[in-house]
Amino acid sequence: MKYGYFPGCSLLSSAVEYDRSARGVLGAVGVELEEIDDWVCCGATAAHATSPLLSAALPAISCAAAEKQGLDVLTCCAACYSRLKQTNQEVKDDPELQKQISEIIEEPYQGNVRVLHITEVLAREISPEAIKAAVKKPLKGLKVACYYGCLMARMPEALCVDKAEYPVLVDDLIRAVGAEPLDWPYKTECCGAALTLARQKTVIRLSGEIVQIAKQNGADVLAVSCPLCQANLDMYQSEAEKLLGEQLSVPVLYFTQLMALAMGLPAAELCLDKVIVDPMPLLSEKGFISGGVYL
Amino acid sequence: MRWELADKALRSDFRRRVEELSGQNLGDCYQCGKCTGGCPVLADIELSPNRIIRMIQLGLEEDVLTNESVWCCTACGTCNGRCPMGINIVHILDTVRLLSQQSKYRPGALEVLTFYQAFLNCIRHFGRLNEIGLMGSYNINSGRLLTNMVKAPWFFMKGKISLSPHKIRRIERLERVFARIEEIEGK
Ligand code: SF4
Ligand code: SF4
Repeated sequence: MKYGYFPGCSLLSSAVEYDRSARGVLGAVGVELEEIDDWVCCGATAAHATSPLLSAALPAISCAAAEKQGLDVLTCCAACYSRLKQTNQEVKDDPELQKQISEIIEEPYQGNVRVLHITEVLAREISPEAIKAAVKKPLKGLKVACYYGCLMARMPEALCVDKAEYPVLVDDLIRAVGAEPLDWPYKTECCGAALTLARQKTVIRLSGEIVQIAKQNGADVLAVSCPLCQANLDMYQSEAEKLLGEQLSVPVLYFTQLMALAMGLPAAELCLDKVIVDPMPLLSEKGFISGGVYL
Repeated sequence: MRWELADKALRSDFRRRVEELSGQNLGDCYQCGKCTGGCPVLADIELSPNRIIRMIQLGLEEDVLTNESVWCCTACGTCNGRCPMGINIVHILDTVRLLSQQSKYRPGALEVLTFYQAFLNCIRHFGRLNEIGLMGSYNINSGRLLTNMVKAPWFFMKGKISLSPHKIRRIERLERVFARIEEIEGK
């Protein structure tokens, strides 16, 4: 199975651990990736909030390239996924927009690619048996709060691949590698997203509350699938602790890092040292890593 | 807060322009408030989503276009998901933000807009975002440091910010895309 890979800007920098662990996990279950030729940034909230046309043109450039390569698009970043998928659908449904966008990007583009998120590929296109077969050390006894955030879940109904208010795809994957996904109420609350730079106060309040509720529900660790969620939930825990007046310290890992751990992939693909709240004490206490091996 | 309903507002074509650009019928909204009930930024804003819609219905152009609340929306889409009338509220807010940039009024939350502009500037020059370019651009435009610069040393330490930014091959084409869109949107 081969896909056109759209890494997105975050996965080249602040979310390298997501990129490496995702490539590792996909490789382990036999998925081949070919990078989309000369892809450009999806424009994220900045384009979406300021220019409707730019927010369609930027994803269209990369989707048109994938169309040319004859590949379905696979992306890990929830923000890129949301922008690419929605643009692709809008262009497909609206001949007028299709014409305008093709003119602007100087490229024929029909909106005919399939845009898939890594969770969708792993949970739906790969058999659960293939994943189970790749697991070397099941994460027995690890309580995981799977956090989806808003971008994955709040697509227009027709495009949503999971249940909007109570998604389960990541839970299924976490279960497949032997850990225990928790039933908890904040799966799709918003973390504050792109306001992280200009409106910090809002983000600290929102993401702090998410970590707090996860902890109250017994989570050892939060599993995320979006670079912005990871950064917000992980980075502001000390500020959120001051705001809430209680200790948090819940490690926030990409779900692919947990899968890679269970599959026994090498440290360079796990990148457990890249997150702020150190997961090592917890993971060694649970017996998933032996002291310092992954440092 | 009280809003004065002047004759001018009642005769303004603001509502029609928002409806046209967003493709949404504002008459569909009956002010049930479900959009606002789920809005995560509610505690930090003055105008809730349903209030903004009510104000557009009433033609309060200046009050809407200069308020900072529309810039605090994270585009999470919860309001869309909950609206019993299927109104795309995020589209309406996108439209309001676009109109406020085109209008003679000063957008309400300049630091958010400045940040978005710095972000897009960076993409325009490299095709991809890089944190160094973004921070530089923001600091120059806004004359102040990004609030979470304090977190930057940590990213450097973990080798997460690369000092040599990636640049795409077809950067000239991208420049033409940006320029053409600016022309069309009249910015
Ligand atoms: S949920 Fe829909 S109908 Fe209800 S107030 Fe909001 S926009 Fe209006
Ligand atoms: S999309 Fe914006 S207005 Fe709607 S619920 Fe989210 S933050 Fe509030």
